[in-house]
Amino acid sequence: MTDRRDILKAGAAAAGLGAFALGYEETARKVVEGVAESLRPRPANAAPNIHGASLPPEFRVDPATGEVAPAEGQKVSYTLCLGCTTLCGVRVRVESETGRVLRVAGNPYSPLSADPVLPQEASVRESFAALSRFEEKGLAGRATACGRGSAVLTQMDSPFRVTQPLKRVGPRGAGKWEPIPFAQLIREIAEGGNLFGEGAVTGLKALRDMAPIDPANPEYGPKVNQVALLSSVNDGREAFARRVMQGAFGTINFVGHGGYCGGSYRSGSGAAFGDFRQMPHAKPDMANIEFVIFCGTAPANAGNPFKRQGWQLAAGRSGGGRLNYVVVDPVLGHSDAQAARDHGRWIPIRPASDAALALGMTRWMIEQDRWNAAYLALPSEKAARAAGEPSFTNATHLVITEPGHPREGFLLRASDLGLPYTGDRHGPRDGALVISAANGQFAVAEAMEGPARLLVDQRVTLGNRAIRVCSAAELLRQEAFSRELAGWSELCGVPAETIAGLAREFTAHGRKAAVSSHGGTMAGNGFVNAFSLVTLNALIGNLHWKGGTFQGGGGFADDGAGPRYDLANFEGKQTPRGLALGRNNLPYERSAEFRRKREAGQNPYPAQKPWYWNAPQLATEWLGSALDGYPYPLKALFLWNTNPIYGIPGLRAQVDAALRDPRRLPLIVAIDPFINETTAYADYIVPDSLLYESWGWAAPWAGVPQRASTARWPVVEPRLAKTETGEPIGMESFFLGLAEACQWPGFGARAIKDKDGALHPLQRAEDWYLRGGANIAFAGQRPVPDATDDDMALTGLDRVRPVLEATLKPEEWRKVAQVLTRGGRTQPLAQAYEGEKFAGRPIRMLHLYNETLGTSRSAVTGALFRGTPHWLPPAFADGTPMRAVHGEAEWPLLLVSQKSVLHNSYSIGADRLRGIRPSNPVAIHPEDAARLGISSGDRIRIATPGGAAEGTAILRRGVARGVMAVEHGFGHRELGARRHEIGGVLQAEKKGLGAGLNLNDLGIPDPTRQGFSVWLDPIAGSAVRQGLPARVTRLA
Amino acid sequence: MSPVIEVINVTREAAWLPWAVQYFFLIALSVGCFLLSLPGLLGTNPTWLRIARVALVGALVCGIAAPVALLADLHQPGRFWRFYAHPNLNSWMAWGAFFIPGYLLGLFLYAWAALRPALAEGAGRGVLLRGLWRLVAFPRLRLPTGALLRLAAFVTLGFALLVLLYTGMEVMVVRARPLWNTPFLPVQFALTGLVGATGLALVLERMLTGHQPAAASLMTRLLVVLVLATGLVGAAWLAAGLIPWNATHAAALQSVVGHEAWRLTAIWAGLAAAATIGLAMVPRAGWLAGLLALHACWMFRWTVFIGGQAVPKTGAGLYATHLPMGHDGLLGILGTGGLCLFLAIAITALLPWNQASAAPAARPAGDALPGRA
Amino acid sequence: MDSSRRSIFAGLSNAVAGLVGITEATAAPPPTPPPGPRWAMVVDAAKCIGCQACTVSCIMENAVPEDSFRTIVSTYEVREAGGGVGMAMLPRLCNHCADAPCIPVCPVGATYQRPDGIVVVNADACVGCAYCVQACPYDARFINHTTQKADKCTFCAHRVDAGLLPACVETCVGGARIFGDLNDPASSVSRILAETPAKVLKPEMHTAPHVFYLGLDDLFLGRVEAEPTLWQPQHGQPQHGAEVRS
Ligand SMILES: Nc1nc2c(c(=O)[nH]1)N[C@H]1C(S)=C(S)[C@@H](COP(=O)(O)OP(=O)(O)OC[C@H]3O[C@@H](n4cnc5c(=O)[nH]c(N)nc54)[C@H](O)[C@@H]3O)O[C@H]1N2
Ligand SMILES: Nc1nc2c(c(=O)[nH]1)N[C@H]1C(S)=C(S)[C@@H](COP(=O)(O)OP(=O)(O)OC[C@H]3O[C@@H](n4cnc5c(=O)[nH]c(N)nc54)[C@H](O)[C@@H]3O)O[C@H]1N2
Ligand code: SF4
Ligand code: SF4
Ligand code: SF4
Ligand code: SF4
Ligand code: SF4
Ligand SMILES: [Mo]
Repeated sequence: MTDRRDILKAGAAAAGLGAFALGYEETARKVVEGVAESLRPRPANAAPNIHGASLPPEFRVDPATGEVAPAEGQKVSYTLCLGCTTLCGVRVRVESETGRVLRVAGNPYSPLSADPVLPQEASVRESFAALSRFEEKGLAGRATACGRGSAVLTQMDSPFRVTQPLKRVGPRGAGKWEPIPFAQLIREIAEGGNLFGEGAVTGLKALRDMAPIDPANPEYGPKVNQVALLSSVNDGREAFARRVMQGAFGTINFVGHGGYCGGSYRSGSGAAFGDFRQMPHAKPDMANIEFVIFCGTAPANAGNPFKRQGWQLAAGRSGGGRLNYVVVDPVLGHSDAQAARDHGRWIPIRPASDAALALGMTRWMIEQDRWNAAYLALPSEKAARAAGEPSFTNATHLVITEPGHPREGFLLRASDLGLPYTGDRHGPRDGALVISAANGQFAVAEAMEGPARLLVDQRVTLGNRAIRVCSAAELLRQEAFSRELAGWSELCGVPAETIAGLAREFTAHGRKAAVSSHGGTMAGNGFVNAFSLVTLNALIGNLHWKGGTFQGGGGFADDGAGPRYDLANFEGKQTPRGLALGRNNLPYERSAEFRRKREAGQNPYPAQKPWYWNAPQLATEWLGSALDGYPYPLKALFLWNTNPIYGIPGLRAQVDAALRDPRRLPLIVAIDPFINETTAYADYIVPDSLLYESWGWAAPWAGVPQRASTARWPVVEPRLAKTETGEPIGMESFFLGLAEACQWPGFGARAIKDKDGALHPLQRAEDWYLRGGANIAFAGQRPVPDATDDDMALTGLDRVRPVLEATLKPEEWRKVAQVLTRGGRTQPLAQAYEGEKFAGRPIRMLHLYNETLGTSRSAVTGALFRGTPHWLPPAFADGTPMRAVHGEAEWPLLLVSQKSVLHNSYSIGADRLRGIRPSNPVAIHPEDAARLGISSGDRIRIATPGGAAEGTAILRRGVARGVMAVEHGFGHRELGARRHEIGGVLQAEKKGLGAGLNLNDLGIPDPTRQGFSVWLDPIAGSAVRQGLPARVTRLA
Repeated sequence: MSPVIEVINVTREAAWLPWAVQYFFLIALSVGCFLLSLPGLLGTNPTWLRIARVALVGALVCGIAAPVALLADLHQPGRFWRFYAHPNLNSWMAWGAFFIPGYLLGLFLYAWAALRPALAEGAGRGVLLRGLWRLVAFPRLRLPTGALLRLAAFVTLGFALLVLLYTGMEVMVVRARPLWNTPFLPVQFALTGLVGATGLALVLERMLTGHQPAAASLMTRLLVVLVLATGLVGAAWLAAGLIPWNATHAAALQSVVGHEAWRLTAIWAGLAAAATIGLAMVPRAGWLAGLLALHACWMFRWTVFIGGQAVPKTGAGLYATHLPMGHDGLLGILGTGGLCLFLAIAITALLPWNQASAAPAARPAGDALPGRA
Repeated sequence: MDSSRRSIFAGLSNAVAGLVGITEATAAPPPTPPPGPRWAMVVDAAKCIGCQACTVSCIMENAVPEDSFRTIVSTYEVREAGGGVGMAMLPRLCNHCADAPCIPVCPVGATYQRPDGIVVVNADACVGCAYCVQACPYDARFINHTTQKADKCTFCAHRVDAGLLPACVETCVGGARIFGDLNDPASSVSRILAETPAKVLKPEMHTAPHVFYLGLDDLFLGRVEAEPTLWQPQHGQPQHGAEVRS
């Protein structure tokens, strides 16, 4: 017995000892390590180890003298950030030995990162001193990168990076790939063949066919249009891609993401500026303005330029700043600060109702005579000039408003009243008429030197008929007065007193007030919202007044027929023609389809799918159109730097199956450093340079007064496989290879003409970008000075100096190096202003009435659009209000989207951002939540007519009642959230990349349309991500 | 719903891991057991002597394991020597580094003195053990064992009180944590330590010697008194937080009141106290009361350390705490448990613990050891 | 201290002035040789846009491990007195307290204050006992997973010593973080503090913090009573977005 007990005891003791050993294994290891470390000899007088693993400083600056001592082993290079579309100039610290990027901060020469910027002439060494404690220069001229800009460098080493050409194995979208050599990539895409064992695929060589796509529909243009390239934003490299796809290949189908970025805003602004092609837009002059209404843009959450308007907001609302502002938004964001309550305030608004707010304000302004009537009365450039105005409007121009009249919607023109005119009757030189304020007579607006009558509503005799004409201002007045203030208030949920208060404040600062908008207008009535908001700016005449609104200074052109090289033209250059896939470059009424139906005696309306004559580039319509084959199917699609499946609400659910079917779209080639939600459907993935590895010339897209270009140059060796000739495989080498294989014009040994007519090669990326750089360096009256050896040594430009010297002319290369070492070229700020106005901007006419719009028709209903700002409820293509289909009883909530402060659409892989913002809890008002029994942290299921998704709720009073707010950037299915198999090896597993949800998985189709559709604004064709009908339930 | 919502903030992890709980638990048990052993070994009451013998085992087992756990709570255990090479005497922890070995050395001496007669007698089983015992007893050393025991008890008592003082003060002085920064805390640590030690003695007594009603009832009575005292101090703490007497106490209470987890903890504590007292009344269930008492001693420390660290110093709500499975958590606790089990088996198997003798009250000086001719 | 020094603080609230008094008392010696720098930060809450550029740049500059932060910008939604709702941003970091409670507790003297006021940890001496982590009233310290030693903001002493600015300051988008020498009356921090009333966090702890806040509501000075964040540590993050909350 005792033995047994002893054995038991011994066993227990052994087990105890074992547990002890296990539990203390780590401790034991640490003890050993610690003792070893303690025993390691250390220099007796070594400084205490207080800096841990902090990076060694990139240089030292003597705080007393400002003398700069560069650090061994690090370079500081100025280049471009692509952490979002702001495209800031940044400074990148590179470890020389490893070529690793250590940290990123701002470029003090870049107006997107610093304010004020250093003069272009300042040496790099001076720029380092300017960042330091020396005379506290670094505080005064802070050069910043945002949170994302500071973190995305880690993406360069991402385990999910594509670094070699991939070809799909098995069905499309299955996530299996094999790496292929560059030569095979080029051969297969150029020549085609039975590439996947699924049948023949036509190669690019054969697809370059100028025969018509469809002789029955000649307006579709040549077959080359069946090859398309979808891109996103001009990241400084677009001109190169356009030269290939449009100049050399000849397709009309090359678009960016405009249609699902801020398309409605750009289109509405385009209406006000009278330009639906460029879609110009103006931004508030934040440095000098006194009152801004941010309505549909969130200046400290996102917006563009993100950082710049952020610090301008901060400066304006603090200390002695004189900026007052409101943020009108269904969701309270970071633009508000309790600490600056005297300066700013949040005003909640019902989603998709901004036009109501704007028209309410308009009504009050007219009622109280607080619009700038004197300015609005100026009918012409001459009159504007005489009055010292940098712009004028067509407020006084007369519009034919007689219902059913063949000229309904057109401006009353000289020929209509038998007055003299030149050019064609009703042509552009047949002058628009106004009624002179001086003598009450009809007069051609353009000729007027003084004011015209603002509010006109009268009959004129046209031919033998008395018809009604109204001035544009009168039409706007009628719209604004179509509802009482209370009525507008009811629509937008903003109290009438608040609307009046906003209008009062807006009109209390002369020209130093503005309305600013953007993504908030991406609603089912976004166009009218945007047009109405932008028109408010016109009503106070703030354009190009200092402290008003302004169009950005733009960039120095690299890709034009520049002072050194002609990068725009070449022998054999194609002029793309035909109908774009999005049907936005031609009115439906000019199509063969229309003619056929009309001739057959049918009602030509509706067209098979909507046409968007007044719309921006419409990637929104692309995939659905190509897969439905209307107007025509695509043969090959290039995806470069884009992710429409992730970014367009409702698209994935619509096209997923069709996109997987190679018969519907035979070839998809992605050029992307990652596999995203869209490129996952590709047949080939071409890797691409990332962030600081690329060449390019970018420009601020708005918000910077002075002319500025940002240089993008490879400050580190691209982590990419190489071509046979040793070039990194990326967009440029791929297209160059393709151009060579297909013998397209514009490339090769004699492709670029210099200013003296000599021809130079275009065989590698540098051939293009360095010559573009020469155009920039030599632009303007005086070229930039030469870079010094010191500039090049400090910035690491030494590394690429040989290629500069080899590519450029002796008198050029140091100037290009000057621009590269500064990370770009910026015009002095002083040159952007001229007294109280912006300098160098042509006098523009703003449109209270847009004739193009007012005379174009919906291709669905055939009804005329209205040329003035007006109210429309969010609606589908045929005008059916969304709520008429998806009623409030069933879908009581409205979803809205807003940018994440930290993330963008593809930053999810940046671990350190996820560490701060790992997911996107969906915000809901406590009252709505209480009704649904939802508490913060609860798992919820959100459903819309387009889909359902699960998420986590957070209760916030900072969302309007009836609204759920989804932060963009989460809910990824790719970019690491799914593991692909490449060459038989499964990608790394990384948790958290699929966290949260993507509002776009909840986007809805248009029930009034045939075929593939997503809900688009009926006028602008822009994607609808604001105001999606939804319901939510708590998950048990 | 609070008028303020934390939209972006982060959680701070607990920096004192469950290791710390174990250390504070074990050291308190050891000291408590040591104190429990004093009446028996210094006095004449046989019931107390019985208690003293098991308590001594408890004191040794826990006393040896405690610093091991403490070492593991250091993130740089290999640098423990710095406590002695570079002490910062402004820090209670630095003092603790000296008190612990002081206490342990004292305890060993005390145990040795108490066991020496039995060792010298060589009453153990087996030739080997007997020989070893004789050796360890240093029979050649002519020592006044009784006086030695008293001296050792006195010295150890001093260090034990210092250990109680420092463990309490070390935590109490942390002004940053209102929950800790209270003069009640050292008292509570001491009282709950005694509760735990009594509980441990009850359990050991039952396991090692079998139930003996007299000893058990003595201990259960003691336990009831201690639990009541602990409850009283707890109530006083609560009162201090409720009446606006002192801002720290109010802040402490404020920081936990309204949190579900802490409400549960309070209810738990109340129930555990009631159950302990209840079980103590039931004959033969003393060891169950003992287990509960041990649990109370552990829970108090767990709540103070792990719960206390879950109270953000600047942030809102409570930091989510979860017990990690690895070294920093469950595995570590199991490891310490294993160590204690091993020590308990080793000590009871190798030492004549149940022959520990009280200091002979009035033996003549220079008494010889038994077994020595 | 000389009168110029005193005048710098003339405009400060009592609490802050009192705290600075402590600094002066502890930094005793008479000012015959010009005093070296005393680094401090002023955070202008009205300028903070909550972009977390500071947070990330600090992480990158100082190799702060996952789930740990030397600085973070706590972001709150607040229901205000008038019934309105607003945002409040609060950049937090080590206050480099003149009377730093983290220093005396360190059993081995690994934590200490440099003459320029920067509170540092000598990583070669730290035993990782985390006592300082407990003692800091601001949750400014943590045990670094990688080094297993106490870690915290150093005011980027390595950069400051090189004549540069702290990482979070140089990249602060809103310009909310202002860093400089309090002993230099011409410095930005001195001038701002002379002109504008500033607050410090948890003044009742008498730690004499040297991070000063402009425009901060009293609600946020101490422990913030709020609906807690839903943030979860990354290493506890389950894979497919199904975030959990305990
Ligand atoms: N941090 C960050 N910055 C970015 C980006 C990013 O991804 N992250 N992306 C960049 C890009 S590409 C762009 S286009 C810009 C976009 O910048 P913004 O246009 O400013 O951003 P959005 O988030 O699209 O929308 C702005 C706001 O509109 C609000 N909103 C939604 N519906 C309505 C409505 O019906 N009415 C009104 N008045 N408001 C509404 C949203 O809540 C949101 O706060 O930001 C750029 N900067
Ligand atoms: N719900 C919702 N939807 C939105 C928005 C929103 O706020 N909410 N925002 C909208 C807006 S404003 C925009 S602009 C669009 C953006 O949508 P898209 O323009 O389609 O672009 P991204 O999603 O940003 O994806 C760009 C892709 O480019 C790749 N990439 C990154 N760097 C490089 C590079 O250097 N080279 C190449 N070749 N590729 C690179 C990445 O893989 C990334 O997936 O999304 C829109 N969609
Ligand atoms: S705003 Fe965008 S481009 Fe600029 S630094 Fe941030 S992420 Fe980079
Ligand atoms: S963790 Fe290091 S610095 Fe902190 S108290 Fe312990 S030894 Fe000192
Ligand atoms: S904030 Fe905390 S860590 Fe920093 S000095 Fe003060 S007490 Fe020490
Ligand atoms: S001063 Fe340096 S260490 Fe401190 S928070 Fe800023 S970046 Fe981080
Ligand atoms: S970088 Fe500046 S503005 Fe941005 S969150 Fe940090 S303190 Fe605020
Ligand atoms: Mo965008």
